[in-house]
Formats: sequence, structure tokens, C-alpha cells
Amino acid sequence: MKGKLLILLIIPLFITYSCKNGSRKNDDFVFPENDSIPLSEVGMLSKEAIADISKNIASPVEIANLLLMLEVPFSPSYLASGLDANQQSTAYDKALALGILGADLGYLNMYEMTGTSVDMLSSIKKLAEGINVGQFFDFETIKNLSINKDNLDSLLYLSIDSYNQIDEYLRANDRGHLSALMIIGVWLEGQYLATQVVSDYPDPILRDRIGEQKIILNDLILLASQYCDRDPQFKDLCGYLEDIKKAFLEVKITYTLGEPVSEERNGGLVVTQTETSVVEMTDQQLGDIIAVTKTVRDKLITNN
Amino acid sequence: MKKFLFILIIACSTGVFSSAQTKDPLVASCVMDIGDGAKYLKDFRVQLGKGTGTEDLRYKAHMSLWKSTKYRFTLCNDESSKGQLIINIRNENNDVVASSYDAKTGKIYPYIDFVCNRSGIYQLCFDFYEGESGLGVGVVSMIR
Repeated sequence: MKGKLLILLIIPLFITYSCKNGSRKNDDFVFPENDSIPLSEVGMLSKEAIADISKNIASPVEIANLLLMLEVPFSPSYLASGLDANQQSTAYDKALALGILGADLGYLNMYEMTGTSVDMLSSIKKLAEGINVGQFFDFETIKNLSINKDNLDSLLYLSIDSYNQIDEYLRANDRGHLSALMIIGVWLEGQYLATQVVSDYPDPILRDRIGEQKIILNDLILLASQYCDRDPQFKDLCGYLEDIKKAFLEVKITYTLGEPVSEERNGGLVVTQTETSVVEMTDQQLGDIIAVTKTVRDKLITNN
Repeated sequence: MKKFLFILIIACSTGVFSSAQTKDPLVASCVMDIGDGAKYLKDFRVQLGKGTGTEDLRYKAHMSLWKSTKYRFTLCNDESSKGQLIINIRNENNDVVASSYDAKTGKIYPYIDFVCNRSGIYQLCFDFYEGESGLGVGVVSMIR
């Protein structure tokens, strides 16, 4: 009897220990459970939490910088040339288009394609004014910096800062849905650019960067979730993001551990991280991501 | 300096600094200090009152950092700031992966170059040395 009792006590203990070990392993990135934040509570996300998520999303110039680093030649075919600022009728259309063109502007700026970027600035100006945030975009300064190719860092700062100010203003003035649209547009266009380029230039770093977007995709969905029931357009958008998420489900991101290595150099500190992330993604999975990204992006451009 | 003058001339000639949406001069001057070849990504304006100095760094933000990228975190202080801005970068396990303050030597670095090899969402924790009050800016840029 005592033996049986002991076994009954030990088994739950063993199971508990195993589960704890499993949860602490932290060597594999998975999407949080769908029900981890009930949809009814998503709308209760604090302004701070939303602001934090908004700032998490990578800057569009990071993808463009990676392409430049990989010596991928510039191609205008990746741009959303079919998107006509004059045809955007609703605030939804304008905000989404503002995000898409913002990513394209980052790409143009990084490659110093000044002629095209001046045209794009005009479209951005029109869209920003259409949702009453034109005052945050220093069009003349950005245009002048764009024409003068010596000041890329100033150009990037003013362009990105303008978008950041628009984002903050919209959130502070109860127009967070437009801010979310802008952020989604920026991310989607950046992802479109990366997935189109990887088809022509299958570089492993670029391939990994595409797979790693799984890390922030859930945040993006969380951001959009608050507005899914707002109108049919938003509902469609939430569905599109779920389609993208499905393509990422089987992508695995694992981690290897290591201590950072620091050294002082030129008065600053250089820290090299030795822990790494490793993306496991088959050609089929990448193909699915490329396809769904193009489908969603094209739908949104066409809808616009 | 040349760059700073250029942007100043452009900004003045186009009325940027006199417009209602004036750029934060502290951020703008810090961006000018990020170094040649560094490409601006984000900035964090930190303004804090006096703390105890024993608590965790008080200003926290998140940012996604990507593998195969070298980031620069430049720290600038306003002239009026009593304290000196410091930063800790924590990974998703809450481990400090980089700090501008070396507790062993007491040295505070004006910038950290962080060679990222693990993509993820990192926590950027700012405060002023020893919980002092102050105003400062952390600018994140890419070096490659």
C-alpha cells in the first residue's frame, strides 16, 4: 500500500518536473497559443502596450539595407508603382497606402534613387494630407536631402522620424486603427520586397530574414486584432494576416546559447553576440511564404 | 560637423525649425553624432526624475533586432541633464547581452556597437547613472 502511494506521489512530481523543464527549454520559437489573449481582451490592450508593439516592428530600411549589403541591384519592378495616391478614397486606403509607399521610400532612399523618390514623396504628401497628418512630413527638406546624395543619414532620419511622428499622433488622437494600417503596410511591403528578391537572389541571410519574420508576425496580428470587427475591409485584412501566419506555422526557429564577447574600441564598446538563432525552413515553406505575401500585397494594392 | 551644418542650412531655408512640428534638437544633434556610415533607425527620448539608484533601469522599450546586423546604440545627454544616460540590452530570456556601463571599472561608454547574431525582440532599458535625474536620447542605427 505504501509502495503504491509512493508511486502515486512520484508520478505527478515527475510529470510536473518534465513540464517545467520543457517550458524552460526556450530553444524553439513557436507562435503563442491563439487563445493566450482572448479576442475580447485584445481591445483592452493598453496604449503603452500598443505603442510598444508599434515600435517593435522593424524599420523598412533594414530590409533595404540588407539588400544593399548583399549587393542586390536596385529594381523598380519591386515598387508599388500601380498604387495611385489620387485613387485612394477612404482613410483606410490612404493609411495602408502610406505604409506601403513608406517602405518603398526607404528602399529608394537606401539606393539613392532620387528621381523616383521625389515622385514618391509627392504621393506620400497627398496621402498624409488626406488623413490630416501632412504637417508631420517635412516634404521640402526631405526632397532637398533626397536630391543631395551626400546626406543619407539625415534623409533617413527625417523620413523615418516623420513616419514615427505620424504614428504617435494617430495613436494619441484615437485614430490607432490608421496607425496600425500604416505599420502593417510598411511591414508587408518590406516582406514583399524581401520575398521577391530572394526568388532572384537566393541568399541564405535574406532567406533567414524572411523566416525570422515569424517572430514579429504575432505582434502584428495582435495590433490588427483590435480592429478586425471595425469594418469589412479590416476584417479582410485580419484574414490576410492569418493566411500569412499559416504559411509560417511550420517554420522553425531554434537558438544556440553563448556568452557575449565585449571589447573596447575607439572609446566605445563593441559587443559580439555568440548566441545565435537558426531558421529551419524548407524550399516549399519559403515558396508558400513568397506566394501568400505576393497574393496579399497584390490584393491590397488592387483594392486601393 | 559638415553634415550638421548642411542639415541646419537646409532646415532653416525650408523653415523646418520654425514650423509647428519642430524636430527635437536633442534628438537631431544626437543623430548627427552616430558616425559616418551609420544609418538611423529609431530614437528613444528618456526623461526621468531622481530614483533610488538601486532599482532596475527605469525606462523600458522593446525593439526587434535581426541576425547578421551590426547595430549602434548612441547615448546623448542634454546639457541640463544631471545624470549620464546608460543602457542595458536584454534578450528574451531577460539576460543582459550588452551594457554601456561597466560595473567592474565604473566606465560609461557613449555608444555600444552590438553585433547581433540572434534575431528576436529585445528589451532596451535606459536610466541615468546611479538613478540620477536627467534628459537624454538613445539613438539606434545600423552600421551594416
